[in-house]
Amino acid sequence: MSDNPTRPLIEMAAVSKFFGDFQALRNIDLVVHKGERIVVCGPSGSGKSTLIRCINRLEKHNEGIITIDGIELTDKVADIDAVRREVGMVFQSFNLFPHMSIIKNLMIAQQLVRKTPKKEAREIAMHYLQRVKIPEQAEKYPIQLSGGQQQRVAIARALCMKPKIILFDEPTSALDPEMINEVLDVMVDLADEGMTMICVTHEMGFARSVADRIIFMDEGEIIEQASPADFFDNPENERTSAFLDQILKH
Amino acid sequence: MDVLNGWWDDYFWGAVIVAKVFIASLSLMIIFGLLGAAAKLSDNRLAQKIGGAYTVIFRGTPEILVILLLYFGSAIALTALVQLFNPEVRFVDVPPFWAGTIAIALIVGSYATETFRGAFLGVNPGSIEAARALGMSPLQTFFYIRIPEMWRIALPPFGNHMLSLIKDTALISIIGLNETMFVAKQAITVTGKPFTMYIVVGLIYLGFSTIITLTVMGIEKYGNRTTVGAQ
Repeated sequence: MSDNPTRPLIEMAAVSKFFGDFQALRNIDLVVHKGERIVVCGPSGSGKSTLIRCINRLEKHNEGIITIDGIELTDKVADIDAVRREVGMVFQSFNLFPHMSIIKNLMIAQQLVRKTPKKEAREIAMHYLQRVKIPEQAEKYPIQLSGGQQQRVAIARALCMKPKIILFDEPTSALDPEMINEVLDVMVDLADEGMTMICVTHEMGFARSVADRIIFMDEGEIIEQASPADFFDNPENERTSAFLDQILKH
Repeated sequence: MDVLNGWWDDYFWGAVIVAKVFIASLSLMIIFGLLGAAAKLSDNRLAQKIGGAYTVIFRGTPEILVILLLYFGSAIALTALVQLFNPEVRFVDVPPFWAGTIAIALIVGSYATETFRGAFLGVNPGSIEAARALGMSPLQTFFYIRIPEMWRIALPPFGNHMLSLIKDTALISIIGLNETMFVAKQAITVTGKPFTMYIVVGLIYLGFSTIITLTVMGIEKYGNRTTVGAQ
Protein backbone atom coordinates (compact mmCIF):
# COMPACT_ATOMS: atom_id res chain seq x y z
CA MET A 1 0.00 0.00 0.00
CA SER A 2 1.65 3.19 -1.10
CA ASP A 3 0.63 6.55 0.19
CA ASN A 4 -0.88 8.60 -2.54
CA PRO A 5 -2.08 11.89 -1.08
CA THR A 6 -4.65 12.55 -3.79
CA ARG A 7 -6.18 9.09 -3.86
CA PRO A 8 -9.17 8.63 -1.55
CA LEU A 9 -8.71 6.11 1.25
CA ILE A 10 -12.21 4.75 0.82
CA GLU A 11 -14.23 4.71 -2.36
CA MET A 12 -17.65 3.11 -2.54
CA ALA A 13 -19.43 3.19 -5.87
CA ALA A 14 -23.03 2.02 -6.35
CA VAL A 15 -22.74 -0.43 -3.47
CA SER A 16 -25.75 -2.56 -2.59
CA LYS A 17 -26.13 -5.23 0.04
CA PHE A 18 -28.92 -7.74 0.50
CA PHE A 19 -29.81 -9.98 3.43
CA GLY A 20 -32.04 -12.47 1.65
CA ASP A 21 -34.84 -10.35 0.16
CA PHE A 22 -34.12 -7.40 2.41
CA GLN A 23 -32.00 -4.71 0.85
CA ALA A 24 -29.79 -3.24 3.57
CA LEU A 25 -27.78 -0.87 1.38
CA ARG A 26 -29.05 0.86 -1.77
CA ASN A 27 -26.65 2.29 -4.29
CA ILE A 28 -24.20 3.79 -1.83
CA ASP A 29 -21.64 6.25 -3.20
CA LEU A 30 -19.13 7.44 -0.68
CA VAL A 31 -15.63 8.86 -0.89
CA VAL A 32 -13.47 9.38 2.18
CA HIS A 33 -10.08 11.10 2.07
CA LYS A 34 -7.17 10.75 4.43
CA GLY A 35 -7.73 12.54 7.72
CA GLU A 36 -11.47 12.96 7.21
CA ARG A 37 -13.77 12.44 10.17
CA ILE A 38 -17.14 11.17 9.16
CA VAL A 39 -20.12 10.62 11.42
CA VAL A 40 -22.88 8.35 10.19
CA CYS A 41 -26.28 8.66 11.77
CA GLY A 42 -29.83 7.64 11.07
CA PRO A 43 -32.67 5.62 12.56
CA SER A 44 -32.07 2.03 13.63
CA GLY A 45 -32.21 -0.40 10.75
CA SER A 46 -31.12 2.27 8.28
CA GLY A 47 -27.97 0.41 7.25
CA LYS A 48 -25.35 2.43 9.16
CA SER A 49 -23.61 -0.57 10.69
CA THR A 50 -23.87 -2.57 7.49
CA LEU A 51 -22.21 0.29 5.64
CA ILE A 52 -19.11 0.33 7.81
CA ARG A 53 -19.02 -3.45 8.14
CA CYS A 54 -18.73 -3.66 4.36
CA ILE A 55 -15.60 -1.50 4.52
CA ASN A 56 -13.59 -4.23 6.29
CA ARG A 57 -15.66 -7.00 4.73
CA LEU A 58 -17.29 -8.29 7.87
CA GLU A 59 -20.20 -8.09 5.46
CA LYS A 60 -19.82 -8.89 1.81
CA HIS A 61 -21.46 -6.41 -0.56
CA ASN A 62 -23.49 -7.80 -3.44
CA GLU A 63 -23.25 -5.01 -6.02
CA GLY A 64 -20.94 -2.13 -6.72
CA ILE A 65 -17.27 -1.55 -6.01
CA ILE A 66 -15.49 -0.86 -2.73
CA THR A 67 -11.86 0.23 -2.89
CA ILE A 68 -9.80 0.76 0.24
CA ASP A 69 -6.49 2.58 -0.26
CA GLY A 70 -6.32 1.32 -3.82
CA ILE A 71 -7.28 -2.29 -3.06
CA GLU A 72 -10.61 -3.45 -4.39
CA LEU A 73 -12.54 -5.71 -2.03
CA THR A 74 -13.35 -8.96 -3.80
CA ASP A 75 -13.37 -12.58 -2.68
CA LYS A 76 -9.56 -12.59 -2.81
CA VAL A 77 -8.51 -13.50 0.72
CA ALA A 78 -5.11 -11.81 0.42
CA ASP A 79 -6.81 -8.52 -0.45
CA ILE A 80 -9.29 -8.83 2.39
CA ASP A 81 -6.45 -9.52 4.83
CA ALA A 82 -4.48 -6.57 3.46
CA VAL A 83 -7.48 -4.27 3.93
CA ARG A 84 -8.16 -5.55 7.45
CA ARG A 85 -4.56 -4.79 8.42
CA GLU A 86 -5.17 -1.13 7.54
CA VAL A 87 -8.70 -0.76 8.89
CA GLY A 88 -9.28 -0.90 12.63
CA MET A 89 -12.70 -1.47 14.12
CA VAL A 90 -14.30 -0.70 17.45
CA PHE A 91 -17.55 -2.49 18.25
CA GLN A 92 -20.60 -1.54 20.27
CA SER A 93 -20.09 -4.50 22.62
CA PHE A 94 -16.28 -4.07 22.91
CA ASN A 95 -15.59 -7.71 21.91
CA LEU A 96 -12.40 -8.05 23.91
CA PHE A 97 -11.06 -11.60 24.11
CA PRO A 98 -12.33 -12.72 27.53
CA HIS A 99 -9.68 -15.39 28.11
CA MET A 100 -6.75 -13.03 27.65
CA SER A 101 -5.40 -10.32 29.93
CA ILE A 102 -5.70 -6.74 28.69
CA ILE A 103 -2.08 -6.63 27.56
CA LYS A 104 -2.49 -9.94 25.68
CA ASN A 105 -5.60 -8.58 24.01
CA LEU A 106 -3.42 -5.79 22.66
CA MET A 107 -0.48 -8.01 21.70
CA ILE A 108 -2.06 -11.03 20.04
CA ALA A 109 -2.90 -9.55 16.64
CA GLN A 110 0.38 -7.63 16.49
CA GLN A 111 2.25 -10.88 16.99
CA LEU A 112 0.12 -13.05 14.69
CA VAL A 113 -0.74 -10.59 11.95
CA ARG A 114 2.05 -8.02 11.97
CA LYS A 115 4.64 -10.58 13.13
CA THR A 116 5.89 -8.06 15.66
CA PRO A 117 8.36 -9.59 18.16
CA LYS A 118 6.85 -10.13 21.61
CA LYS A 119 8.91 -7.50 23.41
CA GLU A 120 8.14 -4.83 20.87
CA ALA A 121 4.46 -5.79 20.80
CA ARG A 122 4.33 -5.35 24.55
CA GLU A 123 5.94 -1.92 24.32
CA ILE A 124 3.48 -0.82 21.65
CA ALA A 125 0.61 -2.19 23.74
CA MET A 126 1.75 -0.30 26.84
CA HIS A 127 2.18 2.86 24.79
CA TYR A 128 -1.45 2.76 23.63
CA LEU A 129 -2.75 1.74 27.05
CA GLN A 130 -1.10 4.90 28.35
CA ARG A 131 -2.76 6.88 25.58
CA VAL A 132 -6.19 5.65 26.68
CA LYS A 133 -5.08 6.31 30.29
CA ILE A 134 -5.37 2.84 31.80
CA PRO A 135 -1.83 1.38 31.83
CA GLU A 136 -2.40 0.11 35.38
CA GLN A 137 -5.04 -2.36 34.11
CA ALA A 138 -2.60 -4.19 31.82
CA GLU A 139 -2.55 -7.48 33.70
CA LYS A 140 -6.28 -7.63 34.45
CA TYR A 141 -8.92 -9.49 32.48
CA PRO A 142 -11.64 -7.74 30.47
CA ILE A 143 -14.47 -8.66 32.84
CA GLN A 144 -12.67 -6.93 35.71
CA LEU A 145 -12.90 -3.58 33.89
CA SER A 146 -15.83 -1.19 33.59
CA GLY A 147 -17.56 -0.80 30.24
CA GLY A 148 -15.87 2.50 29.53
CA GLN A 149 -12.46 1.02 30.34
CA GLN A 150 -13.16 -2.00 28.15
CA GLN A 151 -14.08 0.22 25.23
CA ARG A 152 -10.90 2.25 25.70
CA VAL A 153 -8.94 -1.01 25.64
CA ALA A 154 -10.76 -1.94 22.43
CA ILE A 155 -9.72 1.37 20.88
CA ALA A 156 -6.13 0.82 22.04
CA ARG A 157 -6.25 -2.70 20.56
CA ALA A 158 -7.24 -1.27 17.20
CA LEU A 159 -4.53 1.44 17.41
CA CYS A 160 -1.80 -1.14 18.12
CA MET A 161 -2.21 -2.34 14.54
CA LYS A 162 -1.36 1.21 13.32
CA PRO A 163 -4.41 1.36 11.06
CA LYS A 164 -4.95 4.07 8.46
CA ILE A 165 -8.67 4.13 9.15
CA ILE A 166 -10.72 3.34 12.25
CA LEU A 167 -14.36 2.38 12.06
CA PHE A 168 -16.51 2.92 15.15
CA ASP A 169 -19.77 1.01 15.29
CA GLU A 170 -21.87 2.77 17.95
CA PRO A 171 -18.96 2.74 20.41
CA THR A 172 -20.86 4.37 23.27
CA SER A 173 -24.31 2.80 22.87
CA ALA A 174 -23.67 -0.02 25.32
CA LEU A 175 -22.19 2.24 27.98
CA ASP A 176 -23.67 3.69 31.12
CA PRO A 177 -24.07 7.47 30.71
CA GLU A 178 -21.27 8.35 33.11
CA MET A 179 -18.80 6.37 31.03
CA ILE A 180 -19.64 7.79 27.64
CA ASN A 181 -17.41 10.84 27.97
CA GLU A 182 -14.24 8.95 28.82
CA VAL A 183 -14.60 7.07 25.52
CA LEU A 184 -15.56 10.15 23.52
CA ASP A 185 -12.51 11.97 24.95
CA VAL A 186 -10.23 9.29 23.51
CA MET A 187 -12.00 9.57 20.17
CA VAL A 188 -11.64 13.35 20.12
CA ASP A 189 -7.92 12.98 20.82
CA LEU A 190 -7.64 10.60 17.89
CA ALA A 191 -9.49 12.99 15.64
CA ASP A 192 -7.19 15.82 16.70
CA GLU A 193 -4.20 13.74 15.66
CA GLY A 194 -5.55 13.40 12.15
CA MET A 195 -6.80 9.81 12.23
CA THR A 196 -9.22 8.97 9.44
CA MET A 197 -12.39 7.83 11.15
CA ILE A 198 -15.89 6.77 10.32
CA CYS A 199 -18.12 6.73 13.31
CA VAL A 200 -21.65 5.43 13.59
CA THR A 201 -23.06 7.21 16.61
CA HIS A 202 -26.02 8.97 18.14
CA GLU A 203 -23.76 11.33 20.08
CA MET A 204 -24.73 14.52 18.31
CA GLY A 205 -22.51 16.70 20.45
CA PHE A 206 -19.53 14.68 19.30
CA ALA A 207 -20.75 14.85 15.72
CA ARG A 208 -21.11 18.59 15.83
CA SER A 209 -17.71 19.27 17.34
CA VAL A 210 -15.57 16.62 15.65
CA ALA A 211 -17.04 15.62 12.29
CA ASP A 212 -15.93 17.12 9.00
CA ARG A 213 -18.97 15.63 7.39
CA ILE A 214 -22.16 14.03 8.66
CA ILE A 215 -23.90 11.35 6.67
CA PHE A 216 -27.58 10.70 7.28
CA MET A 217 -28.92 7.33 6.24
CA ASP A 218 -32.44 5.95 6.05
CA GLU A 219 -33.71 2.68 4.60
CA GLY A 220 -30.30 1.73 3.26
CA GLU A 221 -29.72 4.99 1.39
CA ILE A 222 -27.51 7.98 2.01
CA ILE A 223 -30.12 10.72 2.24
CA GLU A 224 -27.87 13.63 3.01
CA GLN A 225 -24.19 14.47 3.45
CA ALA A 226 -23.25 17.82 4.91
CA SER A 227 -20.92 19.70 7.21
CA PRO A 228 -22.12 19.74 10.83
CA ALA A 229 -23.21 23.35 10.57
CA ASP A 230 -25.37 22.74 7.52
CA PHE A 231 -26.56 19.39 8.78
CA PHE A 232 -27.88 20.64 12.11
CA ASP A 233 -29.00 24.10 11.12
CA ASN A 234 -30.14 23.74 7.51
CA PRO A 235 -30.99 20.12 6.79
CA GLU A 236 -32.07 19.78 3.17
CA ASN A 237 -34.14 16.66 3.42
CA GLU A 238 -37.41 16.29 5.33
CA ARG A 239 -36.38 12.94 6.69
CA THR A 240 -33.22 14.48 8.12
CA SER A 241 -35.16 17.21 9.88
CA ALA A 242 -37.65 14.67 11.21
CA PHE A 243 -34.80 12.57 12.58
CA LEU A 244 -33.09 15.56 14.16
CA ASP A 245 -36.36 16.66 15.74
CA GLN A 246 -36.69 13.21 17.27
CA ILE A 247 -33.23 12.95 18.76
CA LEU A 248 -32.76 16.58 19.76
CA LYS A 249 -36.19 16.87 21.34
CA HIS A 250 -35.02 16.67 24.95
CA MET B 1 -7.01 -58.34 56.11
CA ASP B 2 -4.67 -61.29 55.96
CA VAL B 3 -6.51 -62.59 52.90
CA LEU B 4 -5.14 -59.64 50.94
CA ASN B 5 -1.54 -60.66 51.54
CA GLY B 6 0.02 -61.70 48.30
CA TRP B 7 -2.52 -59.77 46.20
CA TRP B 8 -1.27 -56.24 46.79
CA ASP B 9 1.21 -56.24 43.96
CA ASP B 10 -1.39 -57.68 41.57
CA TYR B 11 -3.73 -54.87 42.53
CA PHE B 12 -0.94 -52.36 42.12
CA TRP B 13 -0.14 -53.49 38.59
CA GLY B 14 -3.87 -53.66 37.85
CA ALA B 15 -4.14 -50.01 38.92
CA VAL B 16 -1.20 -49.12 36.69
CA ILE B 17 -3.09 -50.66 33.76
CA VAL B 18 -6.21 -48.67 34.69
CA ALA B 19 -4.11 -45.51 34.63
CA LYS B 20 -2.59 -46.41 31.26
CA VAL B 21 -6.00 -47.18 29.73
CA PHE B 22 -7.33 -43.93 31.14
CA ILE B 23 -4.55 -41.80 29.69
CA ALA B 24 -4.68 -43.47 26.27
CA SER B 25 -8.48 -43.38 26.07
CA LEU B 26 -8.61 -39.77 27.31
CA SER B 27 -6.38 -38.63 24.45
CA LEU B 28 -8.44 -40.60 21.93
CA MET B 29 -11.71 -39.42 23.48
CA ILE B 30 -10.72 -35.77 23.00
CA ILE B 31 -9.84 -36.46 19.38
CA PHE B 32 -13.10 -38.36 18.72
CA GLY B 33 -15.10 -35.66 20.49
CA LEU B 34 -13.49 -32.81 18.52
CA LEU B 35 -13.86 -34.68 15.23
CA GLY B 36 -17.48 -35.50 16.04
CA ALA B 37 -18.21 -31.88 16.92
CA ALA B 38 -16.43 -30.65 13.78
CA ALA B 39 -18.48 -33.08 11.67
CA LYS B 40 -21.76 -32.03 13.26
CA LEU B 41 -20.96 -28.33 12.88
CA SER B 42 -19.66 -28.65 9.34
CA ASP B 43 -21.60 -27.39 6.33
CA ASN B 44 -21.08 -30.73 4.62
CA ARG B 45 -24.27 -32.83 4.75
CA LEU B 46 -22.40 -36.14 4.66
CA ALA B 47 -20.14 -35.09 7.54
CA GLN B 48 -23.22 -34.02 9.52
CA LYS B 49 -24.83 -37.42 8.92
CA ILE B 50 -21.69 -39.31 9.94
CA GLY B 51 -21.39 -37.20 13.08
CA GLY B 52 -25.07 -37.76 13.84
CA ALA B 53 -24.81 -41.52 13.31
CA TYR B 54 -21.77 -41.66 15.56
CA THR B 55 -23.52 -40.06 18.51
CA VAL B 56 -26.74 -42.04 18.00
CA ILE B 57 -24.94 -45.40 17.84
CA PHE B 58 -22.48 -44.97 20.66
CA ARG B 59 -24.80 -43.16 23.04
CA GLY B 60 -27.62 -45.58 22.30
CA THR B 61 -25.98 -48.96 22.91
CA PRO B 62 -24.77 -50.59 26.15
CA GLU B 63 -21.11 -49.92 26.79
CA ILE B 64 -20.25 -53.51 27.52
CA LEU B 65 -21.75 -54.53 24.18
CA VAL B 66 -19.60 -51.98 22.33
CA ILE B 67 -16.48 -53.36 24.00
CA LEU B 68 -17.38 -56.96 23.09
CA LEU B 69 -18.36 -56.14 19.52
CA LEU B 70 -15.25 -54.08 18.95
CA TYR B 71 -12.99 -56.74 20.45
CA PHE B 72 -14.43 -59.72 18.57
CA GLY B 73 -15.30 -57.70 15.49
CA SER B 74 -11.79 -56.38 15.07
CA ALA B 75 -10.33 -59.85 15.72
CA ILE B 76 -12.54 -61.35 13.00
CA ALA B 77 -11.77 -58.53 10.58
CA LEU B 78 -8.05 -58.72 11.25
CA THR B 79 -8.04 -62.51 10.90
CA ALA B 80 -9.79 -62.26 7.55
CA LEU B 81 -7.28 -59.65 6.43
CA VAL B 82 -4.26 -61.69 7.47
CA GLN B 83 -5.70 -64.83 5.89
CA LEU B 84 -5.69 -63.05 2.54
CA PHE B 85 -1.93 -63.10 2.65
CA ASN B 86 -1.35 -66.22 4.72
CA PRO B 87 -4.19 -68.80 4.67
CA GLU B 88 -2.36 -70.91 7.30
CA VAL B 89 -3.23 -68.46 10.10
CA ARG B 90 -6.22 -69.64 12.17
CA PHE B 91 -6.94 -66.67 14.39
CA VAL B 92 -5.39 -63.25 15.07
CA ASP B 93 -5.70 -61.98 18.58
CA VAL B 94 -6.35 -58.27 19.10
CA PRO B 95 -4.69 -56.89 22.24
CA PRO B 96 -7.52 -56.31 24.75
CA PHE B 97 -5.76 -53.16 25.93
CA TRP B 98 -6.22 -51.42 22.61
CA ALA B 99 -9.63 -52.90 21.77
CA GLY B 100 -10.91 -51.79 25.17
CA THR B 101 -9.22 -48.39 25.10
CA ILE B 102 -10.61 -47.55 21.67
CA ALA B 103 -14.07 -48.84 22.63
CA ILE B 104 -14.46 -46.68 25.72
CA ALA B 105 -12.87 -43.70 23.96
CA LEU B 106 -15.50 -44.04 21.21
CA ILE B 107 -18.33 -44.30 23.73
CA VAL B 108 -17.33 -41.35 25.90
CA GLY B 109 -16.19 -39.46 22.80
CA SER B 110 -19.78 -39.56 21.53
CA TYR B 111 -20.91 -37.73 24.67
CA ALA B 112 -17.96 -35.34 24.39
CA THR B 113 -19.05 -34.61 20.81
CA GLU B 114 -22.22 -32.98 22.14
CA THR B 115 -20.29 -31.13 24.85
CA PHE B 116 -17.76 -29.70 22.39
CA ARG B 117 -20.46 -28.86 19.85
CA GLY B 118 -22.45 -26.88 22.41
CA ALA B 119 -19.31 -25.17 23.68
CA PHE B 120 -18.24 -24.10 20.20
CA LEU B 121 -21.69 -22.63 19.63
CA GLY B 122 -21.39 -20.85 22.98
CA VAL B 123 -18.31 -18.84 21.97
CA ASN B 124 -19.21 -15.16 21.66
CA PRO B 125 -19.48 -14.40 17.92
CA GLY B 126 -18.24 -10.90 18.71
CA SER B 127 -14.83 -12.27 19.72
CA ILE B 128 -14.54 -14.09 16.42
CA GLU B 129 -15.56 -10.98 14.52
CA ALA B 130 -13.04 -8.87 16.42
CA ALA B 131 -10.27 -11.35 15.61
CA ARG B 132 -11.17 -11.31 11.94
CA ALA B 133 -11.38 -7.52 11.92
CA LEU B 134 -7.85 -7.40 13.38
CA GLY B 135 -6.69 -9.38 10.36
CA MET B 136 -6.30 -12.78 12.03
CA SER B 137 -6.82 -15.69 9.64
CA PRO B 138 -9.60 -18.24 10.17
CA LEU B 139 -7.01 -20.75 11.38
CA GLN B 140 -5.44 -18.29 13.84
CA THR B 141 -8.89 -17.32 15.05
CA PHE B 142 -9.71 -20.99 15.57
CA PHE B 143 -6.63 -21.81 17.60
CA TYR B 144 -6.18 -18.58 19.57
CA ILE B 145 -9.78 -17.50 20.12
CA ARG B 146 -12.33 -20.25 19.50
CA ILE B 147 -10.53 -23.21 21.10
CA PRO B 148 -9.56 -21.43 24.34
CA GLU B 149 -13.01 -19.87 24.75
CA MET B 150 -14.72 -23.14 23.87
CA TRP B 151 -12.58 -25.02 26.33
CA ARG B 152 -13.67 -22.91 29.26
CA ILE B 153 -17.33 -23.61 28.51
CA ALA B 154 -16.68 -27.31 27.94
CA LEU B 155 -14.61 -27.96 31.05
CA PRO B 156 -17.27 -28.68 33.70
CA PRO B 157 -19.14 -31.31 31.61
CA PHE B 158 -15.79 -32.56 30.37
CA GLY B 159 -14.86 -33.39 33.97
CA ASN B 160 -17.88 -35.70 34.07
CA HIS B 161 -16.74 -37.39 30.87
CA MET B 162 -13.38 -38.05 32.51
CA LEU B 163 -15.12 -39.72 35.44
CA SER B 164 -17.19 -41.88 33.05
CA LEU B 165 -14.01 -42.85 31.31
CA ILE B 166 -12.18 -43.96 34.46
CA LYS B 167 -15.17 -46.03 35.56
CA ASP B 168 -15.56 -47.61 32.13
CA THR B 169 -12.04 -48.98 32.35
CA ALA B 170 -13.47 -51.59 34.79
CA LEU B 171 -15.55 -53.03 31.92
CA ILE B 172 -12.48 -53.98 29.95
CA SER B 173 -11.81 -56.90 32.32
CA ILE B 174 -14.52 -58.73 30.38
CA ILE B 175 -12.23 -59.13 27.38
CA GLY B 176 -9.37 -60.29 29.57
CA LEU B 177 -7.41 -57.16 30.37
CA ASN B 178 -5.71 -57.76 33.71
CA GLU B 179 -6.75 -54.54 35.39
CA THR B 180 -8.04 -54.33 38.97
CA MET B 181 -11.46 -55.95 38.31
CA PHE B 182 -9.71 -58.86 36.65
CA VAL B 183 -7.32 -59.16 39.58
CA ALA B 184 -10.27 -59.17 42.00
CA LYS B 185 -11.98 -62.00 40.12
CA GLN B 186 -8.82 -64.08 40.23
CA ALA B 187 -8.35 -63.34 43.93
CA ILE B 188 -11.94 -64.35 44.65
CA THR B 189 -11.55 -67.77 43.02
CA VAL B 190 -8.51 -68.40 45.20
CA THR B 191 -9.66 -66.90 48.52
CA GLY B 192 -13.46 -67.07 48.32
CA LYS B 193 -13.74 -63.51 49.72
CA PRO B 194 -15.69 -61.49 47.09
CA PHE B 195 -16.65 -58.56 49.33
CA THR B 196 -13.12 -57.84 50.51
CA MET B 197 -11.66 -58.17 47.03
CA TYR B 198 -14.26 -55.92 45.38
CA ILE B 199 -13.97 -53.32 48.15
CA VAL B 200 -10.29 -52.95 47.28
CA VAL B 201 -11.25 -52.30 43.67
CA GLY B 202 -13.77 -49.74 44.84
CA LEU B 203 -11.18 -47.91 46.91
CA ILE B 204 -8.73 -47.85 44.02
CA TYR B 205 -11.36 -46.31 41.73
CA LEU B 206 -12.38 -43.79 44.39
CA GLY B 207 -8.74 -42.78 44.60
CA PHE B 208 -8.58 -42.27 40.85
CA SER B 209 -11.82 -40.30 40.67
CA THR B 210 -10.76 -38.09 43.57
CA ILE B 211 -7.56 -37.21 41.73
CA ILE B 212 -9.53 -36.44 38.56
CA THR B 213 -12.12 -34.33 40.38
CA LEU B 214 -9.44 -32.30 42.14
CA THR B 215 -7.55 -31.82 38.89
CA VAL B 216 -10.66 -30.61 37.08
CA MET B 217 -11.48 -28.27 39.96
CA GLY B 218 -7.96 -26.86 39.73
CA ILE B 219 -8.20 -26.32 35.98
CA GLU B 220 -11.65 -24.77 36.32
CA LYS B 221 -10.33 -22.39 38.91
CA TYR B 222 -7.49 -21.47 36.56
CA GLY B 223 -9.92 -21.05 33.67
CA ASN B 224 -12.24 -18.90 35.76
CA ARG B 225 -9.49 -16.54 36.89
CA THR B 226 -10.76 -14.41 34.01
CA THR B 227 -14.31 -14.24 35.37
CA VAL B 228 -13.76 -13.56 39.06
CA GLY B 229 -13.76 -10.09 40.53
CA ALA B 230 -16.30 -8.95 37.97
CA GLN B 231 -17.83 -5.61 38.74
